[in-house]
Amino acid sequence: MTDTNLTAVLFQQNDLRMEDWPIPAPGPGQVLLEMQRVGICGSDVHFWTKGRVGDYVVKEPMALGHEASAVVSKLGQGVTSLNVGDRVAIEPGVPCRRCNHCKTGRYNLCRKVRFCATPPDHGNLGRYYVHDADFCFKLPDHVSFEEGALLEPLSVAVYATNRGNVKLGDTVLICGAGPIGLVCLLTAKAKGASQVCVTDLNASRLEMAKNLGAEFTVLVRREAPGVTAQAVEGALGDKADIAIECSGAPSSVNTAILSTQTAGVVVLVGVGHEKVEIPLLDAALREVDIRGVFRYANCYPTALAMVASGQVDVKPLVTHRFRLEDSLQAFEAARRGDGIKVMISCDRKA
Amino acid sequence: MAVKNLSAVLHAKLDLRLENRDVPAIGEEDVLIRMGPVGICGSDIKYWTHGYCSGVFVLRAPMVLGHEGAGTVVQTGSKVGNLKVGDRVAIEPGVPCLRCRICREGRYNLCPRMQFCATPPVHGNLTRLFKHPAAFCHRLPESVDLEHGALVEPLAVAIHACNRGGVKAGSLVLVCGAGPVGLLCMWVAKCAGALGVVVTDIDDQRLAFAKEKGADYVINVRGVEEPIAAQQIISAAGCSPDVTIECSGSDYSMTLGIHATHPGGSVVQVGRGTQIPSIPLTLAATKEVDIKGVFRYANCYPTAISLISSGQLPGLKSLISHHFPLAETEMAFKTALSRDAGAIKIIIECDQ
Repeated sequence: MTDTNLTAVLFQQNDLRMEDWPIPAPGPGQVLLEMQRVGICGSDVHFWTKGRVGDYVVKEPMALGHEASAVVSKLGQGVTSLNVGDRVAIEPGVPCRRCNHCKTGRYNLCRKVRFCATPPDHGNLGRYYVHDADFCFKLPDHVSFEEGALLEPLSVAVYATNRGNVKLGDTVLICGAGPIGLVCLLTAKAKGASQVCVTDLNASRLEMAKNLGAEFTVLVRREAPGVTAQAVEGALGDKADIAIECSGAPSSVNTAILSTQTAGVVVLVGVGHEKVEIPLLDAALREVDIRGVFRYANCYPTALAMVASGQVDVKPLVTHRFRLEDSLQAFEAARRGDGIKVMISCDRKA
Repeated sequence: MAVKNLSAVLHAKLDLRLENRDVPAIGEEDVLIRMGPVGICGSDIKYWTHGYCSGVFVLRAPMVLGHEGAGTVVQTGSKVGNLKVGDRVAIEPGVPCLRCRICREGRYNLCPRMQFCATPPVHGNLTRLFKHPAAFCHRLPESVDLEHGALVEPLAVAIHACNRGGVKAGSLVLVCGAGPVGLLCMWVAKCAGALGVVVTDIDDQRLAFAKEKGADYVINVRGVEEPIAAQQIISAAGCSPDVTIECSGSDYSMTLGIHATHPGGSVVQVGRGTQIPSIPLTLAATKEVDIKGVFRYANCYPTAISLISSGQLPGLKSLISHHFPLAETEMAFKTALSRDAGAIKIIIECDQ
């Protein structure tokens, strides 16, 4: 196969192939990017194995990948914010900029957003990719391409902790020690949370959480949510001010609510079943707010600042590395749940 | 001769008795109030019919009912500075500890040591003479009569609900349930600048009343599946609500609110539904429609009184459908329960 713009393309459920696509041209306000690193997300794996995520269905071949960094290769007409050669992190969702959601700053909710690797929009797991320049963030020299790619999940964490209003002195429960739970842990600590407790079914994931700064971990043993909640409360000394649920598991959502302090907030990051039974009356009587998140808005600059200043070290999250040509193997590793973050290098090596 | 302090006392489920109790002795920070009008609330009815409320509060000993009350101060404690004998007051029924972290942060409605009238084991104010901390008795201006004073309590519920939902100028608000609480939420939303209020219910009579009293759109949702009802709401109003205030106590309306509310908005749960409802949580989460419960209110009495005294709620008294003297409290409760009576807010006059 020629390799002008080798791209990882999802044709349909369980049918991921490498194809050579043409190099796209940047339109006005856009830049052509030479892709460097792309991380794999749970949603990418879900699209591959199920052909859909919720109402988003793969109907036509779609390039995967949305957690990415690149080098600016060509400038489209009118671009003044970037130069050729700039190293950038790519914020994957480009909204319309003109609707009320966009104008009020909640552009993540824009109905016309084009988001990498959400059908029908292509992702950036290839050699080249075109993106709007204002959604590319220049990386300082000391921030690596891997860190640039990790700004995407880190932005999810910044947004989730914002929604929960995590601040100095708060105690936080994080349910789920996968990549998202771990970036939420790092972010909560960076925001000054006094104590963070992390729950998970998997002891080695909890080990990682401990290494990354969690004061407490609770191994969930498929018991009743109330039992887990008691263990959390025992560890923290009291219920948590904020719970950030990152697993999507209904029992874990229940634990989160039961573990949260009166007047606290439960942030739902993990996506689970459509209908979930929760102790809503208990939450209502204690004014425990339940707030979902849909991606993020205005978080890339914060995430970048946290990484650039050293407040947060996301490098340990990358445990597996593959080259673009071996994307299928990379996805297999991600599907198996190996390690934490699988990272794909898209640059051409000599 | 000892003053008789006739009181409506709930001994057990469906066992309500008129009894003479002692006149309470006031402490240095309390006032003694000659009770006037006291409204009946859904929770009072619940204790009467079931002996418990909201699944957590259980009647275990005889308890005086009533918490939506107003009256006249007849005695003041030695340290009371905000009230004098003769002042007419609206009584804020919940007295928090004022010393715990949550009280200090201003959300005293959530104080774990809250003493709330007619929530077991604390006695309520369906009585001739009632003692209460002066700090939680709010003086009524001359222009506000005692009947309005009794309506301040449910009005405070509505104000807290609208605050929790972030109702502001330009908001479109969906109110589910056209009972007294729903109607009050509708009025408060308009006072807060809402551009319109849609009211849903399953009772045409209640909806007609809501329309007459200011609802911009009313929709009967009996038998209509939630996503379809949501569409009807959005079509009628021309856009989707920013805030839904659920005042019916039905799981249906929580689901309806999640479907109808604009992404980024809130569903405020005032009504008490089932303990573990099945609601489309993922839909709410991915729409970023926040789910916020409400537990009573905090710091809302002053706002309520000023809304009344400034004339912004001219229709408030139209909520009152029935009056009964204290001695006929049981009849009042039966009337509240009976669908035929068409009751909205029933007032018991404790000085009659």
